[in-house]
Amino acid sequence: MSLRYDLVVIGAGLIGAATAWRCARAGASVLIVEAGHANAGASGQNAGSLHFQIERRFLENGDRLAEEAARIVTLSRMAIDDWASLEDDLAADLHVRRDGGLMVAETPDEIALLEAKVKREGAAGLGTILLDGDAARHIAPYLAGSVAAAGFLREEGHADPRAVTPAFLRSASLQGAELRTATRVTDIQAVRPGFDVELRHDERAQTVRAGRVLIAAGAWSPRVATLANIHLPIFPVALQMNATERVRPLVPHLVQHVGRRLSMKQSHAGNILIGGGWPAKLRRGADGGFDPGLRPEPIEASRVGNLQVATMVVPAVAEMNLLRCWTGVTAITADQLPIVGEIPRLPGLFVAAGGSAFTLGPSFARLIARQIMDQDRAEADDALAVVAPARFEHLNGFMG
Amino acid sequence: MNGRITHHVTRGAKLSITLDGRTLDAFEGETIATVIMALSSPAFRQDSRGDPRGLFCNMGTCSECFVSVRRISGPVRRLRACLTPVSDGMVIETTGGYDV
Repeated sequence: MSLRYDLVVIGAGLIGAATAWRCARAGASVLIVEAGHANAGASGQNAGSLHFQIERRFLENGDRLAEEAARIVTLSRMAIDDWASLEDDLAADLHVRRDGGLMVAETPDEIALLEAKVKREGAAGLGTILLDGDAARHIAPYLAGSVAAAGFLREEGHADPRAVTPAFLRSASLQGAELRTATRVTDIQAVRPGFDVELRHDERAQTVRAGRVLIAAGAWSPRVATLANIHLPIFPVALQMNATERVRPLVPHLVQHVGRRLSMKQSHAGNILIGGGWPAKLRRGADGGFDPGLRPEPIEASRVGNLQVATMVVPAVAEMNLLRCWTGVTAITADQLPIVGEIPRLPGLFVAAGGSAFTLGPSFARLIARQIMDQDRAEADDALAVVAPARFEHLNGFMG
Repeated sequence: MNGRITHHVTRGAKLSITLDGRTLDAFEGETIATVIMALSSPAFRQDSRGDPRGLFCNMGTCSECFVSVRRISGPVRRLRACLTPVSDGMVIETTGGYDV
């Protein structure tokens, strides 16, 4: 036993890097272990939406889920503040652009859904305003005549996923955190207090002692949790997105649709990025299970469907060349809310995974760092209660 | 003919094209990218600092070489110069910092 760290972070994605930075800055010795390379998973593959309005996927399954989604609005409000200062905090250009976001509606049913959503958000303290079609086109002249209403939230926008995690890692490194890439975790043993974490790099194994461990490995998190004899109900999801050629500034906002799968924004370079939850096909590994490490196969119907919605909402898109379509793997949990916090049966073992973690990632990291460092912990526990792993503890009731 | 081999080579028929307002000779079978690369200062667009950008993959994948193209009749289209053969009378504009 040669090496000891206050914290071992598993996964060099956005949350892992951001938590490492926070904890190192607070004085902890931190090791980040990454099986592949930094920002290789969903943190770097997503399209960079900063979306704070309640998502369509929470609204399409009735009131109960929407009720829970409203509880996550508190976290969204924190994320609004965290993103406001992130470029200054990290002294980095992350291409954060927040000119507002529009969630559009076309049909009477969609308008009703939008109205209910805006009301729910208002009650939860989010300043979404409801616009009719003309008012929406007044601030967003690129919208089609078919847009009949829109929820507008001034703080929404987008940032560059390829810049954010590297910036967190640079800041973490300046605070003394160590990063090991191409290094897998092969065992996690609770030694009370702390954990022995076995690492493998180039088939050489080494065990380090960690005061605390954070699993922030995205879609790989359930596999990592297995090493600690824990079930995590996190499942890989394959999505695909599209990028047009660079066009002159046209869409300053984030554009979403309340009734259809659509998310649109214009990148710093001028490309229009078009997605919104259209599926790609997960690939299976040698053991027959889904392998989040294999690039998912694109689905043509998703590409066509996504571009159809995009051109209906923003007709100018029809004139653009499609540059490329890309697929990536993110994760979803059993109840669609992320899992962020300490595992009740294994004090000192923390998890932060399960999707929504570009927009909310910096805030998750800030809060879980407080839990890890035991600083203002009650406040962090309270803020993260809605996403705490405790809600799935029944799955681990038989894990001896 | 600058940029082209002049000896021991046979070419297709000579064509005339317009590139950013200049009339240039080209040869049947060449791509637009070939014609641009034969210039003394080839550029397909400017980057965000205003510097010229060249070809990157030259095989239709990266889309770095989009140019605006009008054939004798028909609309302006943005095409990948590396995949698009020249035709007589073609009018080509390199596209500044944006493709559109």
